Amino acid sequence: MSIRKADVLVIGAGPAGLSASIEAARLGADVIIVDLNMKPGGQLFKQIHKFFGSSAHHSGSRGIDIGRMLLDEAKDAGVTIWLKSTVIGIFPGKKVSIEREMDDGTSELVTLLPEEIVIATGASENVIRFKNWTTPGVMGAGAAQTMINVNHVRPGKRVVMLGSGNVGLIVSYQLMQAGCDVAALVEAAPKVGGYAVHAAKIRRAGVPILLRHTITEAVIGEDGTVSGAVIAEVDEHFKPIPGTEETIDCDVITLAAGLKPTMDLIKLAGCELTFDGVFGGYIPLHDENMETSVRGVFVAGDSTGVEEANTALDEGRIAGISAAVSLGLISGSDADERRDAIWERLDSLRMGPFGERRKKEKDHLIGLFHEEVKDQRAFA
Amino acid sequence: MEKYYDVIVIGAGAIGSSVAYHLQEAGFQTALLEKKDVASGSSSHCDAVGLICDKLPGIDTKMGQASIDYFGVLAKKFKYDFEYNPKGCLYICETKPEFDAASEYCAKQNADGYPMRMVRTEELCEMEPYIAKDLYGALYTPKSGSVAVNPYKLCFAFVHEAKEAGLDCYTYCDIKSIDLNKETNAVESVETNYGRFHTKKIVDCAGVWAPEIGKLVGIDIPIEPRKGTNLVSEQTPQLCFHKILEYGYMMSKFDSINFKRAVSPLVDKQNIAFNLEYTMAHNLLVGGNRLFRGMDTRTEIETMKAISERAMRFYPKLRDIKCIRAYSGVRPFVKDHLPIVSDVDSVPGFYIAAGHEGDGICFSPITGKFVKQLICNEPTDFDISKLDYSRFAEKEAIAS
Repeated sequence: MSIRKADVLVIGAGPAGLSASIEAARLGADVIIVDLNMKPGGQLFKQIHKFFGSSAHHSGSRGIDIGRMLLDEAKDAGVTIWLKSTVIGIFPGKKVSIEREMDDGTSELVTLLPEEIVIATGASENVIRFKNWTTPGVMGAGAAQTMINVNHVRPGKRVVMLGSGNVGLIVSYQLMQAGCDVAALVEAAPKVGGYAVHAAKIRRAGVPILLRHTITEAVIGEDGTVSGAVIAEVDEHFKPIPGTEETIDCDVITLAAGLKPTMDLIKLAGCELTFDGVFGGYIPLHDENMETSVRGVFVAGDSTGVEEANTALDEGRIAGISAAVSLGLISGSDADERRDAIWERLDSLRMGPFGERRKKEKDHLIGLFHEEVKDQRAFA
Repeated sequence: MEKYYDVIVIGAGAIGSSVAYHLQEAGFQTALLEKKDVASGSSSHCDAVGLICDKLPGIDTKMGQASIDYFGVLAKKFKYDFEYNPKGCLYICETKPEFDAASEYCAKQNADGYPMRMVRTEELCEMEPYIAKDLYGALYTPKSGSVAVNPYKLCFAFVHEAKEAGLDCYTYCDIKSIDLNKETNAVESVETNYGRFHTKKIVDCAGVWAPEIGKLVGIDIPIEPRKGTNLVSEQTPQLCFHKILEYGYMMSKFDSINFKRAVSPLVDKQNIAFNLEYTMAHNLLVGGNRLFRGMDTRTEIETMKAISERAMRFYPKLRDIKCIRAYSGVRPFVKDHLPIVSDVDSVPGFYIAAGHEGDGICFSPITGKFVKQLICNEPTDFDISKLDYSRFAEKEAIAS
């Protein structure tokens, strides 16, 4: 078991983690960023669509290009990037054990002793349970998106998508671009959840959007994989109405039922949590510097509440700057100036019908931190 | 809300659940108070066996055997399945000195009528095809003295069966105070977030937390938390066919037996006692160790590493099997390694059933029965005066 020191360990090389590592490294910190995947970039590398938002937030750029840019910036700033590296635990005394897969396929257990930790582990997909939901061919919409956009593998020929949020809409379109037939998009609510512009694109391509419907069963074919989806109309309590069932032939069912923050490591670090419906589940309490209730443990991105890549980038920047403050690499007042500017940008992102609710919630959560944790931070 | 109960049991781990079950079944209107949820403390952070061969000859073994027999009775009686699974146990002796010491132990237990026997390398390798081939032998205990249960489900089973008989179970219950009679010092009531419960009898089954309850009635209960850790493997084909322990386990459990094992400094410092079992869910549970860390139940990477190292020495095949998680808990440790199952002279109506260290699951059925017998003023199944709380007062008196 080898032991290694570092100023900052960033866990998760998505937009939040990468931007945290860039900020901290630029301020002079020795930064290691780890990610369990073969490629860094988190979800950015599968986002081949153009972003919305202001020019400060790369509007018009595609996620994949933003990912490449961040990766170059991280390398230029001297960040050490460990891929195929899984954090297996955060132990007393801020010891972080990492299983690193080496080029020859063997793995090595490294225990890292970082001064500061930034946890940016993102979010994972929710599932909807119906009969036979564990059959091969039923998958998260995000998983299907990774298959087509990152690994260039089609998940199947004919897809039924459940959920009409932006993920459901965009992935449906991208599945068609990849050559899949999308048989239907099924949504339990009486209206489409995501942006009209995305919905219009798939309607124009001839995909029926079946509102007030749900999937009640995956039909299993002779080979043991999905051969169809039984859908049904739902009543005002989202309960299927008997007698309205209909079977659609398909070999893939994708579920776009929202995301929840990935909390495993945050819990292991001992951070105080709170449950928050707006942000998708349990999230860590943190202050405006993105520091949690445990001293020297920072969080950023979807693991602090499910939002989007741009908010993740900015939260990451704040966390990186704050880690540098803890290390004494930048004065508190200089840092505040930078962080205030980022907060202003974040506020501008959290506008509109979806954003305003998130801004209000984020403010509430930071207030909650100051009420409950105050200066009584725990030591890891 | 004010309520009246014949008996109030505090703590819904294996011991408290069993005590509550036995009392309710005997006709006492009983309340079970738990500060978190059923099986949320030591009883869900342990392994899952009851053995006689990890007990010292005498009352320790006698209680173990009585409890193991009783598990069989309860498994038939209960509607709630707690995965009762008798399986033989092998105590691995790495070297001849360990084998000799185990042989001596085996002879003593045989003399008391407990069936166990020594096996040598060849037979051991037949019984356990994946075990290291260079071990000296083992102490084998048949199914009659070795049983596995699911510890969570055991607690749920006791509570479920007791509720059927009319038990009131209060989870997330904060005990604010225990009021005693000003003249007699006898138990009168318990003040909780659910209101005031009037009672003449309280049984403190709070395990490592029993001393906190003791403080509420002004007594000192000498129980300390002793931490243990288990690793959980991915699901695998069956790798071991018995409950497996190393004889060095005895050493770490009873400081009085002093073998020096040829182990690495890490294994030594972590006080590792290898044990292995194959669960009904097809995972392996790999333990374990005993350390004093206060109430800190965070798992330590050094412990995980040391357990893995020791485990691979006995089962080289484990090298190819992934560990998916680890968990740690605290056992209620008493210096003389005997639980406290007793009334308390200075506080009439206050009883203690705690301090079972690593034997809480194993001893839970018989402990429940003993407490019922104590409260009914019946003679206990056998003499348990060694478990009396007064033994600590006597020692203090001698010391002063």
